[in-house]
Amino acid sequence: MAEEIKNTAPQNFKVTIDNITIDVLAGTTILNAARMIGGEVAPPAMCYYTHLKDSGGKCRTCLVEVSKGSEKDPRPMPKLVASCRTTVMDGMEVKNITSEKVLDARKGVVEFLLINHPLDCPVCDQAGECDLQNLSYEHGAVQTRYEFARRTFEREDIGPYIQLHMTRCILCYRCTYVADQITNSRVHGILDRGDHSEISTYISKAIENDFSGNMIDVCPVGALTDRTFRFKNRVWFLKPMDAYRDCDKCCGKVTIWNRGDEVYRVTARKDQWGEVQKLKDGKPAWICNTCRFDKKHVTDWTIEGPTKIDRHSVIAQGHYAGNVGMVKPPDPLNKVLAGRSPHLLLNIHDQSEVNTPEVHLGENEGPSVYETFNGEPQAQGHNVTDVKIGDGTNEKETDSINPNV
Amino acid sequence: MARKLLLEKANVEGIRGYDVYRREGGYKSVEKALKMSPNDIVEEVKTSGLRGRGGAGFPTGMKWSFLAKPEGVARYLVCNADESEPGTFKDRYLMEFLPHLLIEGMIVSSFALGSTVSYIYIRGEYDWVTDILDVAIAEAKQNNFLGKNILGSGFDCEIYTHRGAGAYICGEETALLESLEGKRGLPRIKPPFPAVKGLYGCPTVVNNVETLAAVVPIINEGGDAYAKIGVGKSTGTKLMSACGNINKPGVYEIDMTISVEEFIFSEEYCGGIPNGKKLKACIPGGSSVPILPANLLLTTAKGGKRLMNYESLSDGGFATGSMMGSGGFEVLDEDQCIVRHTMSLARFYHHESCGQCSPCREGTGWMEKILRKIENGKGELKDIDLLWDIQRKIEGNTICPLGDAAAWPVAAAIRHFRDEFEWHVLHPEECLKRNYGLAHYADRIENSVTT
Repeated sequence: MAEEIKNTAPQNFKVTIDNITIDVLAGTTILNAARMIGGEVAPPAMCYYTHLKDSGGKCRTCLVEVSKGSEKDPRPMPKLVASCRTTVMDGMEVKNITSEKVLDARKGVVEFLLINHPLDCPVCDQAGECDLQNLSYEHGAVQTRYEFARRTFEREDIGPYIQLHMTRCILCYRCTYVADQITNSRVHGILDRGDHSEISTYISKAIENDFSGNMIDVCPVGALTDRTFRFKNRVWFLKPMDAYRDCDKCCGKVTIWNRGDEVYRVTARKDQWGEVQKLKDGKPAWICNTCRFDKKHVTDWTIEGPTKIDRHSVIAQGHYAGNVGMVKPPDPLNKVLAGRSPHLLLNIHDQSEVNTPEVHLGENEGPSVYETFNGEPQAQGHNVTDVKIGDGTNEKETDSINPNV
Repeated sequence: MARKLLLEKANVEGIRGYDVYRREGGYKSVEKALKMSPNDIVEEVKTSGLRGRGGAGFPTGMKWSFLAKPEGVARYLVCNADESEPGTFKDRYLMEFLPHLLIEGMIVSSFALGSTVSYIYIRGEYDWVTDILDVAIAEAKQNNFLGKNILGSGFDCEIYTHRGAGAYICGEETALLESLEGKRGLPRIKPPFPAVKGLYGCPTVVNNVETLAAVVPIINEGGDAYAKIGVGKSTGTKLMSACGNINKPGVYEIDMTISVEEFIFSEEYCGGIPNGKKLKACIPGGSSVPILPANLLLTTAKGGKRLMNYESLSDGGFATGSMMGSGGFEVLDEDQCIVRHTMSLARFYHHESCGQCSPCREGTGWMEKILRKIENGKGELKDIDLLWDIQRKIEGNTICPLGDAAAWPVAAAIRHFRDEFEWHVLHPEECLKRNYGLAHYADRIENSVTT
């Protein structure tokens, strides 16, 4: 198998996602191909994490419809597929936001993810940068149909720096992959099965590994929170800055979240998909616990400048003058619609002639109706009420208003 | 009396032991197979048209031919004896009374697939069956049907039993492989399929107990002879484990030409329904497949007689048909409550969902809670539509078929017995005291009024 992949690696595959065709390397997943297009075309992902091997496939939010398997075998795939774990084929056609089926299934998945989620966003530290929050805003239903008790767990401090709030967990398994792949030993995992399964350290072991803090960064919800930052501030009140220091354990490149001289928290640098950025050598910029938890003053850091923040994010609101550090996300919708404009139930341009060039708004006499209005009030002449400017009170008691009184 | 291929000798005294089994003609197929080439055996199985007996009914010969055969990489055969489907107990019967038949089938299959180490993954609750199999394996080894250089052919093969720890999900082939490797029994994301990357990353074939046992008569008598039994693409014989409201529950070997009506009512098989009750509904293939009301069970929607085979049972799709599944034939008489029955199935799937992917993890529990509410007379009419919507959003959107298996029974119950659900909602007090009784469409089709 390995050799087969090697032989086909330099080959480029053409894949069409939501009517946009791009060339990608063979072996790319549908999700990553869609992310190259960006914007709404990229399916949301709650469990897939680029830097964690074997992650993905579990949350089912990234389901897409494959309407054409490949050039060789054009049959559509019978079921929706998890785009994060399905590799593209040459000539494949994928429907994401153009497929009713996908949007319906995704809405279902969001509902399933939320039925056991506490919705305590007002007191949750993750609010504002929570993947589940974004997902439910974009794809969720207005109201829940679930009317039973939600599962709850006691909060648990797993180690000196991390608190586990299992009630919020959506079981994406990312943190277990972090412990497996970044730290030397994993002391936590999933206990039990089904909807009562939980992340836990077996018999309350502490997680004390030097890189364990990265579990907080990969957590898509507020299940794993930074104990040094809990309830200290809301993320949108803080100014994120790219900073670095010389660290002998990790790359030392971080984002510090500060206000004045105080650094409230330190996280790894994230890219536009909420994942840890890659360093120049292609490795992910995981950071160590010393950088994350112990360096909480501006003087510990050399600041590079404001972190680039997606302008749609709440964190981008009102931070820097002149939109410094704002990133405008790509907007592929025009291409997706292929020139067609959406059918509106009421097109205001069909109903009103205000914006039609044949009407010269400044040249009309008479009442201020849209056909004749020129910017000046003209309460004389053909006025419906025959009240002139300066005539005093409206003796006829009509409903006209005299602008000079 | 139909011909039996697997259970013919099941009642011979001492057949569990090697000596009697050998005297009755056992292990002949191994002697024959070792003189054939592995590819010929695969071809023979292809010719026989044998379909997987575990539930999906995938042609076994084709599955075997998909097995990747890279140089220098081990290949494995794994027998799926994790028979956990409610209502299915045919594999237990086979292993308990004819352990050597399974071992014989596995030796032949291992030879055909080039597997020198094969495993039987058996469910943990079958602990006494594991002991029986272990004895049978030891006996086969003493007599050089297992171990090094079997019968001087140069082929080495070992078979090990491995006990599960009580999880339905480990009957799904990739979860079974994970469990066999010593990990959590979570289904893997496919592709890659086990035929390419299975146990310990090596090409693997996972087959049901009955499938592997059926290889023995195929080799003994030839694939063509096997293909002549049965009808259409349902060749050979099938073990059915019949249970529920019937006079003679048990495991029956049928050739797949008999009708469902004959199977339920003839003295040779289930022997009819006790106490003169009427047939209300039936799950023809294990708890995961859609339930059918009596009229659709006995006749297809087109009006033909429904036969006990793969095609006929699934005739009409899920709208008016069901599936052969794993052969767990559950019969419900007029006294049974469909809502309660559906609830207990939903409870089972809630309990057994592995929790890996969200639709199944959250949806199964939700369905159970709603069904419990309706069963206890606290339901509302909108709950029925909600149930339908939930099952629709689980089905097809999960990693493994457990999501489908949890959705189908609920879907079919609402599809065919919606009035019973509504009766439960509209008569909250009465439904606690008595059962709904016979659904009007449990009459024969010709008796029911068409609207």
